[in-house]
Amino acid sequence: MSAVIEIEGLRKTFHSLRNGRRIAVDGFDMLVEAGQVHGFLGPNGSGKTTTLRALLGLVRADSGRMSVLGETSPQRLPRVAGRVGAIVESPQFFGNFTGYRTLRLLARAGGVPITRVDEVLETVGLRDRGDERVKGYSLGMKQRLAVASALLKDPQLLILDEPANGLDPAGIREMRDLMRELAAAGVTVLVSSHILGEIQLICDHVTIISRGRRVATGRVDEVLAGHDRHEFLVRVAEPERAVELLHEAELTASVDGAALVVGGVADPTVISRVLGEQGLWVGELTPLRPDLESVFLELTGAGGHPSVPRQVDDSGRPPGAGDAEIDLDVRGVDA
Amino acid sequence: MNLVRAEVERLSARRFVQLMVVLLVLAFGVTAATTLAGSHKPTAEELSSARSQAAEARQSMEDTFQQCLARQNGTLPPSDSEQYFPSDCSEIDPTLRDRLPIAADFLPGVFSFAQQARPLLYFLIAFLVLFGFLVGASYIGADLNSGGVVNLLLWRPRRLTVLGAKLGTLLGGVLTLAVVASVFYLATFWVIGQTAGLGGELGGDFWRSLGAVHGRGMVLVLLASALGFAIATLGRHTSAALGAVAAYAVVWELGARLVLEIVDARRPDQLMLSSYIGAWLSGEARFYDSQLCTGTEIGRYCDGFYTMSWAPGLVVLLVLTGGLTAAAFAVFRRRDLI
Repeated sequence: MSAVIEIEGLRKTFHSLRNGRRIAVDGFDMLVEAGQVHGFLGPNGSGKTTTLRALLGLVRADSGRMSVLGETSPQRLPRVAGRVGAIVESPQFFGNFTGYRTLRLLARAGGVPITRVDEVLETVGLRDRGDERVKGYSLGMKQRLAVASALLKDPQLLILDEPANGLDPAGIREMRDLMRELAAAGVTVLVSSHILGEIQLICDHVTIISRGRRVATGRVDEVLAGHDRHEFLVRVAEPERAVELLHEAELTASVDGAALVVGGVADPTVISRVLGEQGLWVGELTPLRPDLESVFLELTGAGGHPSVPRQVDDSGRPPGAGDAEIDLDVRGVDA
Repeated sequence: MNLVRAEVERLSARRFVQLMVVLLVLAFGVTAATTLAGSHKPTAEELSSARSQAAEARQSMEDTFQQCLARQNGTLPPSDSEQYFPSDCSEIDPTLRDRLPIAADFLPGVFSFAQQARPLLYFLIAFLVLFGFLVGASYIGADLNSGGVVNLLLWRPRRLTVLGAKLGTLLGGVLTLAVVASVFYLATFWVIGQTAGLGGELGGDFWRSLGAVHGRGMVLVLLASALGFAIATLGRHTSAALGAVAAYAVVWELGARLVLEIVDARRPDQLMLSSYIGAWLSGEARFYDSQLCTGTEIGRYCDGFYTMSWAPGLVVLLVLTGGLTAAAFAVFRRRDLI
């Protein structure tokens, strides 16, 4: 598969008189190949939006190499801009414009046929609300309008930063279906989101960023498999005795409430055989597979402790990170 | 071209632009209505009387001048010797006056287009300069602040093209509005003068002079628009332009002027932007400097005034606006848009 987005060694530091020097992205790498629905995850302030802005030429990178659809960004981005649809954070629109007029304006500026406006309004579910002023739109409707603006160009690559912001459950599901349809139609989608369940449902690949550096990348199932401890939840009549028997069989086991957690087992039939031979019949045997949320929290150190409020800068520092302060609340920085 | 068309639509749809246009129409309407209400077509008797009074006034000026010359030559009759005359009779030479009394000066309650066109035009230009500056600043300032520019750059990732299209659209739009408004404005008052007042002497010189003011005024409107646009781009916000102008006016035009007067600086007006604006708009401006006469030979005439022509005014305005605009483009080209 050909690379649609390539980022190598991206580095961006913001400077301000008040806050000094802040490293936002620190040698970040990313590869998105054609046809992927690629999730881009990271805690608040980890560098997601700065990366996307740098990729789209809105922020000037200090160093690193980026390309979009085979063209170097930002130098040759104009060559492929007509094939890239993007929303970065929540875009603002003129409140006194209608949704239709907003899109018509963008279509005109981008040389897109005006007939596309009706098509994308239909696609994002705003067909009947296109004649209303944007200031009357809910947050979710504005988000739909933003997605519509990104779809106007009939893009080969769609970059969506938090597209589910403000959407209700039905809207989130529609967004998920839309992305699946686009992927099925051959559109490559890069989507950043905090809704990890959604990412797991939608995306086939994922890149996780923490404090400006990549901490994981690959197929979603491979990333999850890499963190699979081969643990099983076991329900049995005498948990304490069961633990002793499993330890005798050289398996790790511990009591967790009314059940057991047995680890380091490649074949679960071993558990039922060891216990069954001693007359303990297994009532439940459930594999404990890691989900994206648990992997994300583990990799980024964003889990924290329930009694200690986690700060933005408390995310895990990836291996190899230097001593420089890494912080990425770029909206508060006078670059 | 598509970008410019889109920008024209954005500019014309801005509430602030629409509000300023409404204010312009209102100001125009109020001025025209009050002028019309306060003027009447002079009767033949009124005209005749006014012409006589004007002729008498001109004759009186000529007589005074001749008496002054006679005093200088020592031929003034003793009966007139107590009358005051300046030491230099050229000060009251009627031929050296900017204008001589005319009939319109003696027609109270009669609007004279020839007499009032210039001040009326100055008023309109002042409004249009304010309009251009505020619209220029808010047009880019609001777009930078709201993310509109970012949105546009996602479509057209060429920063200088996008900013250039915005500036070009702004200048084109403001110029079109200014020309249309000023022509309509002058035409309306010309009609009022013809139908409910006095046209006055509208010869070639009058139109040439009015046309020159109009042309210079339009240039000033464009420069003010570009200036507002440039400062707001540099400061990322509409208020940056407003703040810069307010700070300049208070700190320099008021504060520094006072200080310069206290320290008896020579020609302080030459350091003020307002002097150059005035010189450019009216063709030339005269300023008083008491130090100009210091050291003048006794008996040699010195009135303490010096003149600034339109040329240095234009140079200063072009350098200032051009410099700030170039800086705005240079900064915008490299700026992080976050």
